[in-house]
Amino acid sequence: MSSDVSTPAVIIKAEGVTKRFGSVVAVNRVDYELREYEVAGILGSNGAGKTSFFNLLTGYFIPDEGRILYQGQDVTRMTPQERVALGMMRTFQLTSTFDNLSVIDNLVLAFFRAHRKSSLWQLLTNTCKQHRKDEKILATLASFDLERVANREVSHLGLGEKRRMEIAMAILAEPKVLLLDEPLAGLAESEIKGVLDVLQRQVGRQTILIVEHKISHLEHFLQKLIVMHEGRIIAEGGYECLQSPEVRKSYWQIDEAAA
Amino acid sequence: MLKIFKWWWGIALAFGLLGIARMFLPLPFMNEVVIFSIYALACNFLIGRVGYISFGQPAYLALGGYATAFYLVHFGTNPYVGILIGVFGGLLASLIIGPLFVRLRSDYFAMVNLALAVIVFYLMQKVLVSITQGDNGLWFLTRIDSTPILDLTRPGHFFIFALIVGLAVWAFYKYLDDSIFGACCLATKLNENKLQFLGYNNFSIRLLAFVIANTTTALAGALYAVYLGFVSPEMASPSRAADPVIVTLLGGVGTLFGPIVGAIAYTGMKDVIAKLIGNWELFIGFLLVFIMLVADRGIWGTLSPALEKLISRKKNSARGERDD
Repeated sequence: MSSDVSTPAVIIKAEGVTKRFGSVVAVNRVDYELREYEVAGILGSNGAGKTSFFNLLTGYFIPDEGRILYQGQDVTRMTPQERVALGMMRTFQLTSTFDNLSVIDNLVLAFFRAHRKSSLWQLLTNTCKQHRKDEKILATLASFDLERVANREVSHLGLGEKRRMEIAMAILAEPKVLLLDEPLAGLAESEIKGVLDVLQRQVGRQTILIVEHKISHLEHFLQKLIVMHEGRIIAEGGYECLQSPEVRKSYWQIDEAAA
Repeated sequence: MLKIFKWWWGIALAFGLLGIARMFLPLPFMNEVVIFSIYALACNFLIGRVGYISFGQPAYLALGGYATAFYLVHFGTNPYVGILIGVFGGLLASLIIGPLFVRLRSDYFAMVNLALAVIVFYLMQKVLVSITQGDNGLWFLTRIDSTPILDLTRPGHFFIFALIVGLAVWAFYKYLDDSIFGACCLATKLNENKLQFLGYNNFSIRLLAFVIANTTTALAGALYAVYLGFVSPEMASPSRAADPVIVTLLGGVGTLFGPIVGAIAYTGMKDVIAKLIGNWELFIGFLLVFIMLVADRGIWGTLSPALEKLISRKKNSARGERDD
């Protein structure tokens, strides 16, 4: 029992995963382990392969080589739907929401799939209205500071609100692993704080994996990180690994040039 | 209680108006409007909810119509059973065709359905002449039973029946719009990727939407068959393929009253203009271009905000009085 606490079980494992696009090797034989309740990050400059690797984990792409295990089960060729059913939930770099629905109905859709069997019969015999007053949804609205805009169509929201809502949708589904693709991209300082506050509350409840381009805002948040460059992991560990010469060369240099 | 009333008042009013209009307008016109409304409701659901524009709706209309016709010509004489057979035929056909078609996205979906209309048209006109009598069509008006209570062979009774069916279909689509399924349809229309990553199955959602819409279309076809007492390949004619789409756009896409308003306006224009000048199709073409350019949200889409404002103002003033 005590050993369980000290070293939590591996929840996601990648073994020699490779993905090519034409002649470009986007992800090159990557081995990776993510343990339960970890808050981990994948860093790297643009084109380093971090989003491709992330897409392999979530089922958006199928790897050309290697295996992906989820709780010991081979999920390499599973569809995104099947992975969701197992407890993996992702967000998208360019916020992906249902802009033609209200905020609350977006949450209802996320909630409903996670808590009911979404057979067509269930979809037909339940109305959105029945679930709009659900305690969990109302609590989520409140904790994500979305109450004010609950009935507004998502197309009228600002980017910060949309991003918060997308994370709210992911969390409402109560996944075991929360996979966030650049959750801070394009946000203003004040909005970043809002998103981080929200994420902070999930620490210890879910395993969290974040892909980020910029590390500055996540410094006190991530417990473990990997740095990718040209499709490979070049450093792994705590923040000290950012100081290694290889990382300085590949990551910081490009970042400085961009800034 | 009040909330139920809120949306029922509208439909009750709409159908009440249709009932009253029946006193002043000729029955054939009214019957056409009601059947066309059902036809357009299905098309509106496909376009507005699921994002599928189909230029092949006459195919499903004809499948329903011919299924009813075959029954009434060869097997039985009860018009109600005939209509049920038509609906069942449509259900069966869309269950077979659906899995093939719903994999396509909007523009290809429009084309493949048009192709289907062409196929059904030629099947009925040329290939299956021995069964369908080709262009002569199938005639069975005299074979239809005079049923008690609502005698569908009498246009007046048929109108009441069609009105009840229309009301039921409308209420059904109203319910669909409010259901989780309805929200899923809107979601798959805009962002199927995200819906998949929430764990829903886009394919089955679209297939169900397709089956529902085209079974409704077949119902409209069955109603036409019983009402007219005959069917001909003209029903599946690809040249009529744009009709339900036009009616939907004319009324206002994605609104529940749109198809009804569109059906009234379209049938009305057709009748009036055909009487005044000969070539109504040409004139309607121009008129439609004009309407699309000026009021791209359709008649109902343009009128309803103004109506809502009027109603809310009334409510506010009523509330104000109560406060005093």
